[in-house]
Amino acid sequence: MAKQVDLMQGTLEMLILKAVSLGKLHGYGVLLRIQQISGEQLVIQQGSLYPALYRLEHEGAIKSEWGESENNRRAKYYSLTAAGRKQLADETEKWNRMAGIIGSILQLTTAENKS
Amino acid sequence: MKSPWSRLKSWIRSVSRGKRLEADMEAEIRFHLEARAADLVREGLGPSEAMRQARLEFGTVAAHKDAMRSSLGLRWWDQLGEDLRYGFRILRKSPGFTSIAVASLALAIGANTTIFSVANEMLLENLGVPHPGQLRLLTMGGDAKVVIHMIWGDADQLPDPQHQNQLVRYDGFTYPVYQQLRANNHVLQDLFAFKSLGRVNVTVNGAAQTADAQLVSGNFYQQMQVQPVLGRSILPSDDGAPGSGTVAVISDGFWSRAFGRSPAVLGKVIDVDMTPVTIVGVNSRSFSGAESVQQSPDLFMPLSTMPLFRAPFGDSKPVLASTQLYWLQVMARARPGLSDEQARASLDVALEAAVRATTTIKKGDTLPHIRVESGSKGLNYIAHQYAKPLYVLLVMVGAVLLMACANMANLMLARSSARQREMSVRLALGAGRSRVLRQVLTESLLLSFMGGIIGLLLGYLCRSALPHLIAKAWDYSDMEVPFNWKVFTFTATITIGTGILFGILPAWAATRAEIGTALKQSAQTASRRRRAWNGKGIVAFQIGVSTVLVIAAWLFLRTLINLNSVDPGFAVDHLVLFEIDAPSLRYPAPKDVAMHARLEEALSAVPGVEGVTASDAPLLVGMQMITGFHVEGTPEVELSPSPEDMNKFPRAADVGTDFISVMKIPMVAGRAFTRQDTETSAKVAIINQALAKRFFPHQNPIGKRFSAGPTAKDTKWIEIVGVCADTRYDALRNNPPPMHFGLYRQQPEMGGLTYIVRTPMKAEAIVPSLRAAVQRIDSNLPLLDLRTQRQQIDDDLQQERIFASLSTGFGLLALALACVGIYGIMAYTVAQRTNEIGIRLALGARRGQVRGMVLRESGWLAVAGVAVGILVALGLGRLVESLLYGVKATDPLSVLGASLLLLAVALSSGWIPARRASRLEPMDALRHE
Repeated sequence: MAKQVDLMQGTLEMLILKAVSLGKLHGYGVLLRIQQISGEQLVIQQGSLYPALYRLEHEGAIKSEWGESENNRRAKYYSLTAAGRKQLADETEKWNRMAGIIGSILQLTTAENKS
Repeated sequence: MKSPWSRLKSWIRSVSRGKRLEADMEAEIRFHLEARAADLVREGLGPSEAMRQARLEFGTVAAHKDAMRSSLGLRWWDQLGEDLRYGFRILRKSPGFTSIAVASLALAIGANTTIFSVANEMLLENLGVPHPGQLRLLTMGGDAKVVIHMIWGDADQLPDPQHQNQLVRYDGFTYPVYQQLRANNHVLQDLFAFKSLGRVNVTVNGAAQTADAQLVSGNFYQQMQVQPVLGRSILPSDDGAPGSGTVAVISDGFWSRAFGRSPAVLGKVIDVDMTPVTIVGVNSRSFSGAESVQQSPDLFMPLSTMPLFRAPFGDSKPVLASTQLYWLQVMARARPGLSDEQARASLDVALEAAVRATTTIKKGDTLPHIRVESGSKGLNYIAHQYAKPLYVLLVMVGAVLLMACANMANLMLARSSARQREMSVRLALGAGRSRVLRQVLTESLLLSFMGGIIGLLLGYLCRSALPHLIAKAWDYSDMEVPFNWKVFTFTATITIGTGILFGILPAWAATRAEIGTALKQSAQTASRRRRAWNGKGIVAFQIGVSTVLVIAAWLFLRTLINLNSVDPGFAVDHLVLFEIDAPSLRYPAPKDVAMHARLEEALSAVPGVEGVTASDAPLLVGMQMITGFHVEGTPEVELSPSPEDMNKFPRAADVGTDFISVMKIPMVAGRAFTRQDTETSAKVAIINQALAKRFFPHQNPIGKRFSAGPTAKDTKWIEIVGVCADTRYDALRNNPPPMHFGLYRQQPEMGGLTYIVRTPMKAEAIVPSLRAAVQRIDSNLPLLDLRTQRQQIDDDLQQERIFASLSTGFGLLALALACVGIYGIMAYTVAQRTNEIGIRLALGARRGQVRGMVLRESGWLAVAGVAVGILVALGLGRLVESLLYGVKATDPLSVLGASLLLLAVALSSGWIPARRASRLEPMDALRHE
């Protein structure tokens, strides 16, 4: 198993948006999907998932409805709203640009160190 | 995107479904835990071990739930709930504090809202027309020699001390002068005119009732810029030839009263003083005509109808044609860009020309000068009448407001000092400073809102009560005081603001201090001195305000008591009063006199009637009839309408034959009137002792003759046949003036009379048979203003009673608040000084000394407050002087009494803390923390 890393501050919400963008999920399902996509490398404080979900719903990025789970239990399912889809796109773009900039800065520093 | 709208929706949803939300969160977390546990079981753990593991991974459920709630923006909402619960608990724990704070707030807010709303309506409100500020009222000023000799309207003395010749203000013009002024006016917009006819008899659908009628010029509605809500207004074409234009626009109030707001009222023909008049329009509710802001006449009719309602009088020319009678009120809107002074100068020239053109001016006569006054409030009678009492009430109620603010400040200060340690503990336990301040603020707001809501109710309910108190008990009044939100907001803001300020300030100071110092600081350490002093300043202030209010209450109570014990000079019980008007068109003189004589006869035959008489100036109804008085064989003095002359000349009344015996006025000399004094016999009079003393000192007046006309030449001599004891005349508060009684039968004309019936029966019991007796003479004559003499006197004393009861109420309230203040501050001081007192006792101080020490302190507080209060009261004394009777504003007894009362109150409220201090056990006190 690869070494696990803690989640960076402020990225949980983006990950949740990404997770539910692939289809309706309940809270536990969001957790499983993030872990699954990340190849079990990310550690998510399970309890802190819910305040984040509530905040996103409060802000209108996702919406929720009660439904039946795989094993016929009542569960709350979250799905992306139009506003959430736009937010995800914006944040992905922002993240990629940020990652690119930071990546190039870090590379530059390494290059200077070498010389 | 993070839209505020979706947040608001989500927030409202969360708040409104608190229980559901809780259950949902619960269910969601349970599902998560169970699903995780099921996965763990699948990985090989035992079921209970799996659940434990799942819980461990999840973390603290309660903390996450809190975080979920705050994600929904519920955090401050939750905290508010906590604060409120805590606040309620704290307030419930000290019910005394709570009820005093709430009650004083409520009373102050309620009383202030009421009085200020009424004052606002009476003194500041403008006429309900567009741009009332443009309206100007035209009046005239004239000196003692002015050419105006006959008025139907008002003549007031102008406040003009440096003038040698007293100026008198006249508010009416002759119709010809008005017409000329209007034609020659280029400085104001078109002049318009109006005149109140007073009360008229109206028959609607066969039922007779009374209404207030006003005649207006044809351009009245145009110039007022108002339109009726129904039908049309009075138009210039209505105001044509004298006697034409029998149309009326009725008021909203009369529309409700007489027609139940039926739209079918248009075109209806009603009888107004027996003249058929067609209703053409209904005014809006907000329009009250040009005369008064508060009350609208019921009927508006064109000026051209004047001859239908008023017979010629004075110079025996019809009113509209008369060049002698000054009666018509004139207004106009200002012209933009022209100052009032420019308008006055130009109109003055026009007035002089008009007066010269219409009147012959004798040598020595002077001309009146025009005055341009503000007309935004109409003639503004109410303000003239009630301005002073209202200002006094405003001062009193303002004092109550101050008291309530001081009380609130005091209470909050004492509380926050007592809670200083609690706050420090909360801060030490990690509460944020703003969190602690918010808690204190919530509490202050809670108190304030409770007080504010009760005050709002009080103000709302009482706002119409005051005008009803002022109105006559037997008269219809539709004056309504709208609830004044501005006033309420103002008073509520002041009181609540005070509460919040004095709640939050000490808390602010307390939370700023280092946590440690406050916790370490106990009763031994100082730093409380200044805070205590602040509290004492407030208490001394309260005592000062109470002193003023108690002195006022004392003065007004003494006034009422003095007035009640005044002997009016006649037997006031068992008298029923009502008026009968003989309409001048139906009963032209001398038919009216004969009709009254017949009525008097008929009424005295009614079973249960002991005696009947009548008077054109009944006693104690606020009415004065002033005549000239020229004794035969002395130089003649002419009577002018100047107030100075008014005071020199005697008062008079024309009465029925049995007046003296029915009123039970003692005769002093000579004889009373008899049946032998008739229309055709020699004119006779009875004078009172005051007149005998003034005009016939050291002489026997019996047999002397005098004339009572404004000029002596054309009147017949009247012989004095008797002297009666003095009676009060227009009001209880005025000393008996010199007066003479004549017989109305010996007068040439007598339109309306007040009938006075002495009966052992109750008024309600005898009125039907009285009414029947009147109807047998003329079925169109209503009995107006039915009341007993007692009711009439009560009405006369209405204002004094309102003042006495309100000021007593305010005084008691102030005393109670001062009591609470003194008790609070002394109890607080004693509690703070427990250690010190313990040391004193341990060192051998006697208990009496300790008690004396505390009492002395409250005594000094009281002395300081009372001293300031007396100074203020003496300063304000001049304001109330004219409202008092039989007692001076600087009455030493009242001042002394009030001071002693306050000192006694101060000492007795200091007594309990003083006794507590003196009963301390030294060892307990020293250990006290």
